Formats: sequence, C-alpha cells, structure tokens
Amino acid sequence: MAADDEKAHATPGEPRKIGRRDVLKGLSTVPALGLFAYAWEKQRGYQQARVEEVAAAAKAPADLQPINVALLGAGAQGQVLTDSMLRIPGLRFRAVCDIWTEYNQKRVVNSLKKFKYEVNGYEDYREMLDKEKELDAVLVATPDFWHAQHTIDCLKAGKHVYCEKEMSNTLEGARSMVAAQRETGKLLQIGHQRRSNPRYRHCYDKILQEAKMLGRIVTVYGQWNRGVTTDLGAPDRYVIPEARLTQYGFKDMHQFRNWRWYKGKGGGPIVDLGSHQIDIYSWFLGANPSHVMASGGNLYYDPKTHEWYDTVMAVYDYDTPLGPAKAYYSTQTTNGSQGYFENFMGDQGTLLISESEVNYAGQLYRDPNAPAWDEWIQKGYVSAPKEQEAKTKSDSGAIADVRESVAPDQHTVPVTLRDPYHQPHLQNFFDAVRGKAKLNCPAEEAYQTAVAVLKVNEAIEAKTQLAFKPDDFKI
Amino acid sequence: MEEANLSRSAMIAITVMRVIVGWHFLYEGIAKLTSSSWSAVGYMRVSRGPFAAFFKWIASQPQLLDNANMITMYGLTIVGVLLMLGLFTRLAAVGGIGFVLLFYLCNPPFVGYFYSIPTEGSYLIVNKNLVELCALAVILLTRSGLFAGLDRIVHGLLVRRFRRARLATA
Repeated sequence: MAADDEKAHATPGEPRKIGRRDVLKGLSTVPALGLFAYAWEKQRGYQQARVEEVAAAAKAPADLQPINVALLGAGAQGQVLTDSMLRIPGLRFRAVCDIWTEYNQKRVVNSLKKFKYEVNGYEDYREMLDKEKELDAVLVATPDFWHAQHTIDCLKAGKHVYCEKEMSNTLEGARSMVAAQRETGKLLQIGHQRRSNPRYRHCYDKILQEAKMLGRIVTVYGQWNRGVTTDLGAPDRYVIPEARLTQYGFKDMHQFRNWRWYKGKGGGPIVDLGSHQIDIYSWFLGANPSHVMASGGNLYYDPKTHEWYDTVMAVYDYDTPLGPAKAYYSTQTTNGSQGYFENFMGDQGTLLISESEVNYAGQLYRDPNAPAWDEWIQKGYVSAPKEQEAKTKSDSGAIADVRESVAPDQHTVPVTLRDPYHQPHLQNFFDAVRGKAKLNCPAEEAYQTAVAVLKVNEAIEAKTQLAFKPDDFKI
Repeated sequence: MEEANLSRSAMIAITVMRVIVGWHFLYEGIAKLTSSSWSAVGYMRVSRGPFAAFFKWIASQPQLLDNANMITMYGLTIVGVLLMLGLFTRLAAVGGIGFVLLFYLCNPPFVGYFYSIPTEGSYLIVNKNLVELCALAVILLTRSGLFAGLDRIVHGLLVRRFRRARLATA
C-alpha cells in the first residue's frame, strides 16, 4: 500500500496524483451496492408475490356477486377489519373515509393500493356517500359517539352497514339505529364477532343447546385484564388542525386519540372490553339480565384524561329458562395477567372459553356426578378426557386437604379458528348481503347487549343494585 | 494514503466486514422506511437497565418518538450506504456506533435479566449489537475507506488540492 502511494507521487513535495489504482480501489466496493439493490428488488418481488397470493386467495369465483365496500373510520379497529376483509373473496374496496387524513386515511388507502384496489380517500362521509354511488356496504369503525349518525346516514343512503360494537354510547343512539334499519330494510350487523366464531357457535349449538352438557348453568364469571397502557399521542406533523377536530366533536388531539376514556365519546373499558363478553353471557344463558350491581372507579389513571372507570366489577342476575343464575364480570386495565375468558359453570359441567386461540381456547370439565359424555365424545363434540392424576400431594410436597373435591374430567372443544378473529363475522355479513345467510348479530340483538352493558356505568354511579324491566330490551 | 499499517489481506478482510456491516445497516433502514407501521416504541417500552427510564420517557412523548423513529430510519440507511461505499467512513462508523450503542443500552443482556422477547440466540452481556459495535470500532480505527472505498478518491482529491494550495503560497 505504501509502495502504491510512493508511485503516485511525481516528486517528493509535489501534489500527489490520483492513480488508476486509486480509482479502481476507490470504486471497488460500489458493486456491493448494486448487489444490494438486486437483492432488495428480489425481496420486494417476493413480498409482492405474497400480497398477490393473499389477493388471489380472496379472488371471487365467477358466480360470486362482487360487493363494493367502503371503510368509514380507518383507525386501529378499521385496520383490523380491513386486514380480515382482504382475505374474503368477492369484495371490491372503493373508498376509505377518516378525518385523520394526514395519517389513518393515507395509511389504509396506501395499503389497499398495494392490493391493487382503486380506492378514494374522504374526510367527510357525506361527500363519500354522495360520490360513491356504487357502494353496497359500509363498514363503520369510528368512535362510539359517531356510530348512530354514521350508521343511520349510510342506511338511508341505501347501504348495508357493519358497525363496530358498542353500537352506540347512548341507548337513544342505539334505538335510532334499529329504527333506521327497520325503516330502510337494509342489513345492520353489529361487531360482536364472537357470535360468528366457529368455536363459540359450536359451544352454543352443540354443547349447550343439543347436548346440554353443562346441565343448568348457575354461575358465570369472566374477565378482561389488560396491562397498563400509556395514552396515545401523535407527532406534530400528524396533528389534526383544531378547526377540524372541533368540527368532528373533539376538543383536542388527545381526546381524538384517546376517545374511549372520555364521557360522551366512548364508554370506558366495561364497554370496550366487557361488551364482547357480556354479550356472550346473555346469548349462552338464553336470557337478558334482570338486575345489575357494580363497583368501579378511576383508581390508577389521571381522571382529567381518563373520565371513565379503569376498574369495574359487576354482578348480574339472570332469570334463565332453567332457573336463576348469577354472573360476575370484571375488567381492569392495570394488570394483564390471566387475560380474558368466560367461564360457565353448570351443575353437570364447566365451559371455559375465550376468543383467544392461545389461552382458554375451549376447555370443558365434566362434574363427577354428571351423566357420561361418551355419546358427545363419539360425535366429536368434545375431545376424550385427559387422564386426571389423583393428587394427594402438591408439587412442593404439601399434602392435599381431605376436603378437596374430586378432580373433574377435562375435555377440550375440538374447534379452532385459523383465520383472523373478525373474519367469520364479516363473512357472515357479506353472505347475508348476498342473501345466503342470516346475520349472526343483527341490530335488535346487539341493542339488548347495549342495554345490559351501558347499565353497568349507571349502577356504579348509583352505588346500588339496578333493575332491568323486560321492556328495556324491547324496541 | 494513511490507512492503518496492516497487511493487505487484513485490510481486505476489514473492508469485507465494512461492506457487510453496511449492508446490514442499509437493509435495517430501508425495511423500516418501507414499512407502514414500524416504530421503535415497542422496543423502548420494554427497555431494561440503567437507561430504561430515559427510553420509556421517549416512548411516551409522541414528538420525541417520531423524531427518534425518523432519525433511526434515515440514519441507519445513510450509515449503511456510506459504509458500503467507503465514503466518509469514519463519520459513518461513529454514527453506526452511536446507533448500536443506543440499541444495546435500551435492552442490554446484563446478568440477571430475563427477556420474554424471543431471540434467536442466548446472550450474556455480549450480544450481536455489541459485536457489531466492535466491528464498527475496528472500521473506524483502521480507516478502511482509504484502502478500498470512495474515501480513497475523495481523500486524494482533497490532499492534492491542499498541497497545491500550500505550494502556491510557499
């Protein structure tokens, strides 16, 4: 190397010339950048092939009637719905509407364009309804306090609507949605997606209705534990101008990003999380609750920015067709241990179930005194029991108390969902649009859940047990 | 030229290492830039160790987080290109060391730390970030861009101009 340098000098002290060897060595690693560009292009091609693979899987058979859809509300939930819809054959994405044009709208429009959909972005849903005449259905995933107006206007514009739960943050809003659905005759599905989950449907149809494996359900408990989360924010370059925020009912960007915590906008964790599971309580018990008592509070977060209760514990009374039952539900947002599940306990068996495919994905316990489940095992409704070891000692060597109940047989529900959790419910909606299915969660059903869930916040404020009148659930 | 006084084969090996490290930086940057949803927020929120409070604080500040994301995405890309080309190699190596040091300090594999994030290997104090940091230190100190890289041409032009100017004033 030193010799090279010496050769390049004409005479000592003279400016050194850049020789041919210097140029060659200087450029010697440039081809590596070309190699990188080639590899990256290959990688992008591979990624595009994956995208096209998903699109091809969702390609409609020739005889499938295409459905033109728009997404109204392109936040996190809107993205979840979009990801699921991309896997459903026969859909044509035409429009995306979101007031956060700087971020949400752009993100979803761009992601749909990758799948070769020609979608238009809108800030104002009325403009979208005016211009997109070919739309068949609108997916509403806006904040709860907008659901009623968005849904009603879409129905009146002649569109079928899939609206995220909670159907509204007020019962007046929910009632007006049902009325608009009846008036227009269009379909209105509410996003309680467990109603279409094949495992939940199997449990309802086969285990509870046909086999009656739990006997009489007397108690239910369920929970949704979620760990501490920080408030959602937005970098300066994505902040929505104040005038637009005010126009759409938000006092500032914090409220826009964290609307679920604000009274008048959302309903807090009991509505966001509990609504899904309390919906299952009523569905599986075959009854609406007669009473509710609840305790809750804002125990952890700043009440100025978290107006709703971060911790809620509620007890419902039910008069089921088989007798009275009590159902406990708790949700808290300061510790995510043990996640979420629903546990139905009958006098012959127990069903522990959740939407998760990883935790509590369907376990059944047969009470030792219950009739044998052999018939249902043979029919494939439940798995054969796991062998239960008679434990007289704990793992640490402690001796079990003689009063321990005999361990029940443990079975599993042999149904899994390989698709995204929302896909079956969306599929049910689009099948209904094509006239090939009935909605699994029509507006009237979801209204009853809204009555049961929104009452919890009232009960917390009232600090006493509140009664439901049968007429409360009727519209 | 003033690259380190090492054998030719050693300099070739270091240059190959520089290109490979640059490749890694470049792809890390481009992959983040082309992802619609990448953010360092998850990595920062699970931060452990003596600087955890600092990283968690950044994760909680939307504007700071956005700046950190932008700096990371573009910084990794630029450092990667410069290392591969051997252009401003020492500056690129310093920048790379800064990035990797921050990644290391955000989630260091110190004694007694058990991470729930799945990793492809097992680490105790030394992890791949630290290895890459050391590789960048070698690149910094040996000035491999002067051996094989655009620095050789740029440096030659600058020195030539400087010497000419000095001769003219002499």
